[in-house]
Amino acid sequence: MTTPTSDASSAYAEPAAYLDMPPERRAAAKVHAALLSKTADRIARELPFSADVDDFRRVLVEEARS
Amino acid sequence: MTDLATLSARALAKAIRDQQLSSVEATKAAIERLRACHELTNCLIALEADEVLSAAKAADAAIADARTTGPLAGVPLAHKDMFNRQGKIASWGAKIRPDTPAAADATAIARFKAAGALQIATLHLAEFAYGPTGHNYVLGHARNPWDPARITGGSSAGTAAAVAFGAIPVGLGSDTGGSLRLPAACCGVTSIKPTWGRISRAGAMPLAPALDTVGVIARHVEDLALTLGVLAGPDPLDPAASSVAVPDYVARLSDPVVGVRVGVDAALIAEAHPQVQHMVGEVTDILVALGLTRAPCRFTDWQTLDHLVQLVQLPDASSAHSVFLRTRPGDYGPQVRARAEVGHFISAVDHLTALRARGLILKRTLAETFKDVDIAILPILADPLPTIAELDVKGGPQVQAAMGRVVKYTRPINYLGLPTLTLPIPRSGGLPNGVQLIGRPYAEALLLAVAQAYQREVPPEIARPLKM
Repeated sequence: MTTPTSDASSAYAEPAAYLDMPPERRAAAKVHAALLSKTADRIARELPFSADVDDFRRVLVEEARS
Repeated sequence: MTDLATLSARALAKAIRDQQLSSVEATKAAIERLRACHELTNCLIALEADEVLSAAKAADAAIADARTTGPLAGVPLAHKDMFNRQGKIASWGAKIRPDTPAAADATAIARFKAAGALQIATLHLAEFAYGPTGHNYVLGHARNPWDPARITGGSSAGTAAAVAFGAIPVGLGSDTGGSLRLPAACCGVTSIKPTWGRISRAGAMPLAPALDTVGVIARHVEDLALTLGVLAGPDPLDPAASSVAVPDYVARLSDPVVGVRVGVDAALIAEAHPQVQHMVGEVTDILVALGLTRAPCRFTDWQTLDHLVQLVQLPDASSAHSVFLRTRPGDYGPQVRARAEVGHFISAVDHLTALRARGLILKRTLAETFKDVDIAILPILADPLPTIAELDVKGGPQVQAAMGRVVKYTRPINYLGLPTLTLPIPRSGGLPNGVQLIGRPYAEALLLAVAQAYQREVPPEIARPLKM
């Protein structure tokens, strides 16, 4: 017996299914995102667990004080 | 009589303040020049001649009564059409616009008004400020005043064209990936993209708020200094607006530059077209002749920086546009639509990784790249000034690569939030281009002092079509 696929799970199967995009542009977007994701993965391994999105502003402020 | 087109805003303000020239005269002349510039470059979105002439009369009356005013009293300016103005609807360079007139002025507009500046017009920009070339498939493309077949650069295209033409001395723009530097370089003028947060973005159309930076384009470095001083400072309406003290940038223009160390990343510069490499060398030689010291430096892994900035920018921009992309996709031009779609394919985890890494990577850049240098010099465009036709890629499959090449040297700096100043190259009769000086956070005064010294050797020019 097969389980029916809900609309919601279909949407998860195809990223950005809600956008009206021709297949070639969709494919190009996926390739580009995958390329960037490799960099994100590599950088994530270098980051301390405590790294925070506000660190950037902290460094700017520290620099202004130095 | 002095040609008003050649005057800086600072000089124009002084002439008006000293009543050697009325604001009405200056404004009428600027209106005529803007019309001529528009015919050549498509720089205008809306000319507000009647309104600005009334304001100019009021400014003259205030000056005559000694009731004044501010450092830009009576000076007519025009700005990229992405800033809220009370009672008006900004075009955003797009078909999709705000539904209702703005309730209040953007902080940058309000600060210019408080300084006494008038606004003549709103100026061309890439659709939603999301394009580095001046192409706009909704408004029509902007054309370069030196050669109308070539790009102006974007997204602050109209501001750069109008400033280069001499229609206005200075105007507002913004920079998320190069949008102040690219048009300034392409049109042969100067610009300052200050440290991220130095100028409030309240009331400015957001593109990617984590990166968006308001700044100015001018012919004269002294106008960058004057206007940055007017615009910078904390703002309760923008929590990212920095409370770091604002120096007197005009007073600091004469700071000594002898011994300032300018960093040259030879390997990174070598990735540019040979002509561009030569331009960077030529500008560096001028700086060295002024007393700066040349020193090697290295931006570690530029490609990683470029990927990280995209991981921030693409989803940030896509989020802002997500509703319109679903409900009004046909109202987008092809290029912005294609670029705004891509962010939907980047995971939230990857986006946040790039944001979490930003502090560490900035700290590392300051410790390594800027260890032995005070400023760094890089190209802005990787190639000689392209034609409009060469970069007319619309939304085709090559759009990411083509736009990536245009912003190769600019976009990564936005990830670091560092201040950069555009220096136009010595043209020697040829097409314009520019290089960027990059400083540590809040080093705007140093960049301005170096640029002021450079401008004594390479004076500002008024753009007119070259006979090729």
